[in-house]
Amino acid sequence: MILKLEKRLKGSEGEFLLNVDMDIPEGSFVTIFGRSGAGKTTILRMIAGLEKPDRGFIKVGNSVYYDSSAGIDLPPQKRKVGFVFQDYALFPNMTVAENILFGMEKPDRGFLDYLLELTGLEKLADRKPDTLSGGQKQRVALARAVARKPEILLLDEPLSALDMETRKMLQEELQRIHRDMNLTTFLISHDFSEVFRLSDTVYVLDRGSIVKQGRPEDVFVQERLSGKVKFSGEIVDIKREDVVYIVSVLIGNRIIKVVADPAEAEDLSIGDRVVVASKAFNPFIIRV
Amino acid sequence: MNRIKAVIKSVESSDSISLVELETAAGKMSAVVVETPDTADYLKTGREVYILFKETEVSIGKDLSGRISLRNRFDCTVLTVERGKILSRIVMDCKGERIVSIITTRSVESLELKEGDRVTALVKTNEVSLLEMDGNV
Repeated sequence: MILKLEKRLKGSEGEFLLNVDMDIPEGSFVTIFGRSGAGKTTILRMIAGLEKPDRGFIKVGNSVYYDSSAGIDLPPQKRKVGFVFQDYALFPNMTVAENILFGMEKPDRGFLDYLLELTGLEKLADRKPDTLSGGQKQRVALARAVARKPEILLLDEPLSALDMETRKMLQEELQRIHRDMNLTTFLISHDFSEVFRLSDTVYVLDRGSIVKQGRPEDVFVQERLSGKVKFSGEIVDIKREDVVYIVSVLIGNRIIKVVADPAEAEDLSIGDRVVVASKAFNPFIIRV
Repeated sequence: MNRIKAVIKSVESSDSISLVELETAAGKMSAVVVETPDTADYLKTGREVYILFKETEVSIGKDLSGRISLRNRFDCTVLTVERGKILSRIVMDCKGERIVSIITTRSVESLELKEGDRVTALVKTNEVSLLEMDGNV
């Protein structure tokens, strides 16, 4: 898929030009990363046809969604795009099944059953949204977004309102849906572990421009160690013990403790994003 | 983490493992890494890199004699010994490079380590990591 987008945007620090040029292999899982106001959501909205670029070109497979020089601008319903937002935006008066059916071009009970199973919602098909948990609601939103059998799935911080446990489960489901339905998926996320777990490619956006792109491990790990075991996490505790420090690092939903020399612990503080690395020779592997 | 500047002198590789010989101010060093020049482009003769190894991987010998498999050995002078209940921290000067070792306080006692002692710092080859330096130095 080819994306060339240009648009003047008004940010909190004045006007800036959103200008991106991406060539994305179909079937990729792409994350757009960056501070708020960098233009991330605008990119997704332009792909969906909810917002118009000043100039640009969007091509998915063989179909051109947008081409300013040829005057092509497919309306949102003609684009094969599914969209999931942070707030679930479900219809409160419809059941789970009805919400999903609503997303389809033609009602297809067989496909509905497939989606219910894929998202683990079989038993909740007749429930109304207000009786569901946040994670369940987001599953419905996800099932509805892919009910149109889109080519592209757009996810705007879909999991950021959920607790860690639910988030992890939904990340796995996202991955399964992405794979099973052969989607090209765009994710906006601020969660490093989520980005690492899900995406093939990360684009880092700053004031409308892509400042970095590549595999998550190449984009986020500045220095390249020859060690092969590497996890990124966040420091949650630093404690002195004897002549060393014990630094607790949250990786995924686990805390691991790392012994650090005082000289390196001085540079660390709680909340820092860090990489925990070890040589490929050190770790034990034990079957569980 | 101990960090020493080094220059790569040679790289010998099998399918995915390389033995890298390096030159530092403190002396010759070697590292075994699970990378090859194909997977890590900085593994080239003449490249400047950082050598990294954890303080807890540095052993200390005194009046060493006999043969030993450890390939990384540096003649050092003990600058400070900080004793804790279980662990102690030894800072050494090795021909201008500073190397820190964390060993048990019991070992410090049995070696009778103190400031000014002449010792040998030892690091296993497979505990040594290499870090690419920024730019094309």
